[in-house]
Amino acid sequence: MNAERSIVLETTVSFLYWIMLGAALWLLLRGHNAPGGGFVAALVAVAATAAHAMVFGVAAARARMPFSPLTLSALGLVLAVVSGLPALALGQAFLTHWWGELAVGSMALKLSTVLLFDLGVALCVWGALGGFCLRLLGSLR
Amino acid sequence: MVQTALPAASQPLWIRAAWLLPLALLPAVAGLPGEPASWSVPWVAPLGVRLGFAADGLARLFLLLVCAVGAAVLAYTPGYLRGHTRLGQLMCLLIAFTLAMIGAILADDLLLLLLFWEATSVLSFLLVGFEHDSQDSRDSARQALLVTGAGGLALLAGIVLILLAAPGLRLSDLAHLDPAVLEDARFQAGVALVLAGAMTKSAQFPFHFWLPGAMAAPTPVSAYLHSATMVNLGVYVMARFDEAMGAIPWWEVTLLSIGTITALWGAVQAPRERDLKRILAWSTVSALGTLTVLIGLPNELGALAFVAFLLAHALYKAPLFFVAGNVDHATGTRMIDRLRGLRHGMPATALAALLAGLSMAGLPATVGFVAKDTIKAAKEVSEILWIVEGASLLVSMVGVAVASVAVLRIFFGRPTHPAGHAPHEGGWRLALPPLTLASIGIALGLFPALAEPLVTDAARMISPALTRSDASLETEWLLRIESFAVVWAVGAIVYAGWNPLYRILDRLRFLDSAGPAAAYGAALHGLKHAAGVLARGLQARRLSRYLLTTVAATVLLSAPWAFGLNFQPPAAIKVDGAGALVGCATAILGAVLAVRARDTLQRLLGASAVGAGSALVFLFQGAPDLALTQLAVETVFVVVAAVALRRYRQQQGAGAGVGRANAWRAGVALAFGLLLGAVLLALSGRPLDPAMADYFLAQSVPYAHGRNVVNVIIVDFRGLDTLGEIAVVMFAALAAWPLARRLPLRRKGL
Repeated sequence: MNAERSIVLETTVSFLYWIMLGAALWLLLRGHNAPGGGFVAALVAVAATAAHAMVFGVAAARARMPFSPLTLSALGLVLAVVSGLPALALGQAFLTHWWGELAVGSMALKLSTVLLFDLGVALCVWGALGGFCLRLLGSLR
Repeated sequence: MVQTALPAASQPLWIRAAWLLPLALLPAVAGLPGEPASWSVPWVAPLGVRLGFAADGLARLFLLLVCAVGAAVLAYTPGYLRGHTRLGQLMCLLIAFTLAMIGAILADDLLLLLLFWEATSVLSFLLVGFEHDSQDSRDSARQALLVTGAGGLALLAGIVLILLAAPGLRLSDLAHLDPAVLEDARFQAGVALVLAGAMTKSAQFPFHFWLPGAMAAPTPVSAYLHSATMVNLGVYVMARFDEAMGAIPWWEVTLLSIGTITALWGAVQAPRERDLKRILAWSTVSALGTLTVLIGLPNELGALAFVAFLLAHALYKAPLFFVAGNVDHATGTRMIDRLRGLRHGMPATALAALLAGLSMAGLPATVGFVAKDTIKAAKEVSEILWIVEGASLLVSMVGVAVASVAVLRIFFGRPTHPAGHAPHEGGWRLALPPLTLASIGIALGLFPALAEPLVTDAARMISPALTRSDASLETEWLLRIESFAVVWAVGAIVYAGWNPLYRILDRLRFLDSAGPAAAYGAALHGLKHAAGVLARGLQARRLSRYLLTTVAATVLLSAPWAFGLNFQPPAAIKVDGAGALVGCATAILGAVLAVRARDTLQRLLGASAVGAGSALVFLFQGAPDLALTQLAVETVFVVVAAVALRRYRQQQGAGAGVGRANAWRAGVALAFGLLLGAVLLALSGRPLDPAMADYFLAQSVPYAHGRNVVNVIIVDFRGLDTLGEIAVVMFAALAAWPLARRLPLRRKGL
């Protein structure tokens, strides 16, 4: 924990953290049709983690991540691989993406393995870079 | 290492009975045909390598030696190293070595020969370095490996060249080689390299020095590798090549001159030693030189003499090594100054030494005499330079003297040991092997006819012109004896003057600082030194130095390529809108700040301004995805780096993390910037092939249901690449993990 505390930073970051993660999610979801995507989303999430670590300490920031950084990164990699498996089952080339529509009431929700892949990219990068940032900051206490 | 003394009975059966294995092979080997026979199976078909083996009279003789001496060694070793904790390991290595030797001798394909050849080198390394607790032993093993390993590389290069000139050539084809191939420069170069490799193995000058060094090996190993088998592998290959290569002008001259130098060198060095084993080693070097000379002799009798001497040498040198081992085992020393009158305590060893010594001195009724006689006959019919003749006389005399030292000096005379402390025999395992081998030498001397078919068949493989009547080993030794009397007389004088001779030859110490052994030492030292300088130069343990080295190397290596680019700057660089102009201006200002600022934090900000400026340019030039990513990377990097820097300073003091610019770094940075700029300009001046872009733009929506083409390419069209990239991101983070463990405390100014 940082020796000099700042009320302003603490208050701001405590809700800014969630806004940044929300922005990351938004970038991830819109990525296929507008600027955005898994990698940028991950970078925004890394920024959120780093900001949290600077204000509340490395341990707190790590606790806020859904899994430990390494697990998160590995999970992302697994998700990306898994997203390519349905194509294999259908006899297509690995990573040939599958698209489907899900009718929820009057809305047609577009689902695809692309989203799974992009989520995998985001989690993998968030875990790896976020974990590294935490480690760097943690080494300098 | 703790060496627990185990009683002999607790030795495993396989160790005690291992010697029966080569012994059982003896009848099979003796039954091999004297005429060439070969068999082969396909192995590495695409390379045309076959598991091709061939046997003939020459191979038979070598195999007999390998198996006979091998049986003696395997019987001897459990007695010599009784209770050694790693005796089993040594036995395994010796058995493996036996098999490798058999393979090398039977190999018909050149690459197969190389394989077994290298196996003997590696096994020799392990055997010489068996007592790896001793520095001396390790150094000797490394020396043997480096010298014979270099020879193996020469052999490999030679074989490749030979196979280029004569595809598919096997050793058995050498007998009927196309004369046109001999003229091929590649073939001759290949033969020269093979010869060089053979010379390292057979300890020919200037590669001889590893052999006396290898005396650090346990004595049975020396008896096996360094007297009768491995060192003979080199002369074996020379002998195989000799018949076909006789037509190459330099072949015989090289063999004669190198062989003579080696024989002389060994003869001069032997009296300079006081360690019995090293004396024997130098006399082995001398004998190997003589064998090379005999191969080089142009007539048929040379081949006969070569084979006879090879046989005789193995039959007296291996027992003498065993004798040296027995003496060491019984008295704890091999220094000839401290050994006298051992015959009282060790009668069997003394008898073995006497029989082997008689053969080495070439006295009548020994196989050594038969060999000397054939050598003399071969020299009489050849026109050789007087220097070769004189050298061989000198070598013979020293041989007589060395034999006398090994027998008379050590085993006869008044014992120096106090009564009750008399050394004694170490059991049948130590006494019988040398006695048996030496007795065979005497038996073959008394009845040369026994060895005749063996020797003749072997010699005919080197010189087919040899007729059986020429090859008679029967000598009327009473008629010949006078011609050897001189050698024996002078040899006796050399023996009598062994100690004065030692003092005189000790003045040759300057040879130690100028000879090939010294050159090897200097080369090894220089290698280590150079590696140290290089490592210290490259491993500066400072990130800025690593960066500087990397960037400077990049500039130097890619500059020639960059100058070769067709440098066509684009006619005009189009900048759309004020936004992009602002971006450019921001980047330039940031760069100036980064260069001019004194404080690292300011530099960091300057560098990030360059990034932000580029993001602006991307944004207004139609690459919003790129702009977004750039901005995100910049933000995270600057924030984290700034915080890290600030904490680092809190920890280490205010001055920490302030680097100093200097002209050298500025120069490298400028060169790198210019290079990158030039390359970018040159590349952007080239017309871009729009095919890929058009394809992706057209197919993005119908195939991949996405309007953001960049993202579609990343996750769909090139999804596999992305998968690889995120894996790399993860592994890079894992690799960087330990870097961020703890920053070292700052000791001096950065």
